[in-house]
Amino acid sequence: MSEDQLYFFYDLFQYLLNGICQGSIYALIALGYTMVYGIIKLINFAHGEFYMIGAFTGYYCIKSGMPLLYAFPIAMLFSGIMAVIVEKLAYKPIRHAGRIPALITALGVSFFFQYFGQMVLGAAPKPFPETYEDYNLLEKFGITEIIFTKTQAIIIVSTVVLMLFLRWLVMSTKVGKAMRATSFNKDASELMGINTDRIISFTFFIGASMAGAAGVLVGIYYNTIDPMMGLIPGLKAFIAAVLGGIGIIPGAVLGGLVLGVVENLVVGFWESTYRDVVSFGILILILLVKPTGLLGTKSKEKV
Amino acid sequence: MSGPILHTKNITMRFGGLMAVDQVQLKVFKNDLVGIIGPNGAGKTTVFNMITGIYTPSAGEIILQDKNINNERAYTISKLGVARTFQNIRLFKDLSVIDNIRLAGHQKLTYSGISSILRTKNFKEQEEKLTEKAIKLLKIFKLEDKKDFLARNLPYGKQRRLEIARALATDPKLLLLDEPAAGMNPKETRELSDLIIWLRDYFKIAILLIEHDMGLVMNVCERIYVLDYGKLIAEGNPSEIQNNPKVIEAYLGTSEVD
Amino acid sequence: MDYLAHLTLNCGIFIILAVSLNLINGMAGQFSLGHAGFWAIGAYTGAAFSTFAPLPIPDWMNLLVGCGVGGISASIAGVLIGIPCLRLRGDYLAIATLGFSEIIRLIIINMDVVGGPRGFTNIPKWANLGWVYLWVVITILVISNLMKGTHGRAIISIREDEIAAESLGINTFKYKLLAFVVGSGFAGVAGALFAYSQQFIHPNGFNFLWSVIILLMIILGGLGSITGAVVGAIILTLLPEVLRLMGPTISEWRMVIYSLLLILLMLWRPQGIFGKHEFKIFSLIKRLKT
Repeated sequence: MSEDQLYFFYDLFQYLLNGICQGSIYALIALGYTMVYGIIKLINFAHGEFYMIGAFTGYYCIKSGMPLLYAFPIAMLFSGIMAVIVEKLAYKPIRHAGRIPALITALGVSFFFQYFGQMVLGAAPKPFPETYEDYNLLEKFGITEIIFTKTQAIIIVSTVVLMLFLRWLVMSTKVGKAMRATSFNKDASELMGINTDRIISFTFFIGASMAGAAGVLVGIYYNTIDPMMGLIPGLKAFIAAVLGGIGIIPGAVLGGLVLGVVENLVVGFWESTYRDVVSFGILILILLVKPTGLLGTKSKEKV
Repeated sequence: MSGPILHTKNITMRFGGLMAVDQVQLKVFKNDLVGIIGPNGAGKTTVFNMITGIYTPSAGEIILQDKNINNERAYTISKLGVARTFQNIRLFKDLSVIDNIRLAGHQKLTYSGISSILRTKNFKEQEEKLTEKAIKLLKIFKLEDKKDFLARNLPYGKQRRLEIARALATDPKLLLLDEPAAGMNPKETRELSDLIIWLRDYFKIAILLIEHDMGLVMNVCERIYVLDYGKLIAEGNPSEIQNNPKVIEAYLGTSEVD
Repeated sequence: MDYLAHLTLNCGIFIILAVSLNLINGMAGQFSLGHAGFWAIGAYTGAAFSTFAPLPIPDWMNLLVGCGVGGISASIAGVLIGIPCLRLRGDYLAIATLGFSEIIRLIIINMDVVGGPRGFTNIPKWANLGWVYLWVVITILVISNLMKGTHGRAIISIREDEIAAESLGINTFKYKLLAFVVGSGFAGVAGALFAYSQQFIHPNGFNFLWSVIILLMIILGGLGSITGAVVGAIILTLLPEVLRLMGPTISEWRMVIYSLLLILLMLWRPQGIFGKHEFKIFSLIKRLKT
């Protein structure tokens, strides 16, 4: 293997690694999108904002001297609570008004958090406090051409843990069964004695807390947060959810990882300015070619 | 003598693993008045949806006046002379009664979008003619005094009538009525029976209807097809159908008495 | 005085944008979240025409040609984007159009000839209040006349019930596309007028936020009502100025107020101020007399 080829593979490996980290974060946000869509068919535009709220909660917790390990669950909790409040105040009253009014409300909520955040927290980006010394884990093994930092390891490990937890929650618990029943047929679930309002709130809570976790992870990864930070990753996570098949939980994970990897390959081997063009291109392509997503199945509209 | 207007040759519709309609043969001739009956979920509306191009059959052929229309879209099938009403009334609810009728005349109009923007003479003449025709039709259905009402503000029975009038405004050769008497009281149903026969004779069209009200079907239809679980289980005139053991079984359940 | 003229001019441009989006969202019921993309195409092609290829004719004629260039480019984009996207429905269409408008903006940012991320500068000042309002009148007349004919009724029938419309012989796809193309064309004209009056345009001035603001205008007025779109455009163009008069603090909170407005509007009156109906001054007078 020539040296050029070797370096190409180093690069490729590096971008794949970065892509997996980025993709893990997309996947965590996409989970909430997909769960909420699965249960009430709402594209929750404001979902990216719960990720921002999580990042800021983590920021203030750590600033006040709390260790990362405690800041993390508190950020998740707070994001989740905010989502439940939003659901109760803004989404629930218009749930029966149709999908478009709900979508518009979600847009309103999204903008509200962005601009309210700007007013209250300040528009300027904030440096996320460092809680540990970051270093390349691979150096121990004498590899310096590829960088795999402790932070990246934390991101991947926490994502895997959260996803296993979510899988357990949805597949093996009573509340998970109720969630699946509600998303399958809300009216029938209600007749079976499931309090669907509570299940919907719970779904918002879990989805937003996943996004909140992603917010803290991004804080320690990129070291900078701002009130507008939710907009683009929110859209990207939505693309990831659609890519995998919206409403399908494993689809969100797959879509997130694929999108993260593709974006990093575009940045690495093409032009970083085309990253977003490619992502939106993927969205449109999947909507046109297979709107049900990679893991979705076809269904017909009843007349 | 000419063949049937509509001939469905073994049409089949599968939804995933479910056979909604299984090899159904129907024939409708000129001036025919034919009924399709069957228990709920027998696949009657699915047959309508295939004939009108909302679904494409999974197998079989739909022949409309010697032309295969399997892959035609709904609007083309309408142009070929098939009109329908819907089980759950699909009026343009926020448009006026007369605009509902005018819309059905869409395919007969030839003026361009530009002439409507420039309000040309051609535009005005065609619109006037369209309006006249619409009012004539509304008179037949006793709706002309309601012509400027929004469709949503009509009482239920009038909405059903308006939907039939709208279908007729496309000048069809074949009219499909999906449960026209649903939700009507006995008096309204009797009036509807007379209206259906009268329409067939006045407009010289064939009518194919789905109905649960047996009184109406037996009064009105000359031939009846019976569907059960997607399959055609009987066909014949009303008295034949009434005495067909298979039909009785389908409606009353299997009798275990030997 | 200059300030008032500037404000009136902006009102005009947003009226064109709102009335044209209303054709797509309100009349045809095709929920587009990408109007700013077509606005951007009109603005950039119009600006490119005026900078790189102005004709040796008087400015006012060049203005008309430039508006034509902007409008036609945006309509062509409307065809290209509409054909694939209009097969999607509801929220999926919204997301696809949002995606396309973002792609348009990102491509412009990456195009150096038109200034890329620095913006397009030194555009000739061809437009004035008179020309903008001439186009306002043209837009309203064209769209309201179109709506009174069978093409317009066909467009509305799609919003009301697509399946019923198809079953009555209406090629719904064709009329969705017609609404989309006419709507995006007028957005393009608004773009060219915007370029010729501002003399400077920047890709971020056409981002997703603006699509939402135009949407808010027509929702405020009532989806499907032309008069509503006009009123909504005027209210939302003037509102920031009114808020500014109320002091710097309130002015800073402008966007927060906008978003709350959007949410509250959906909660209280999802059909907008006017609903689907036109506000007719004559019928009002008649009603007052009796």
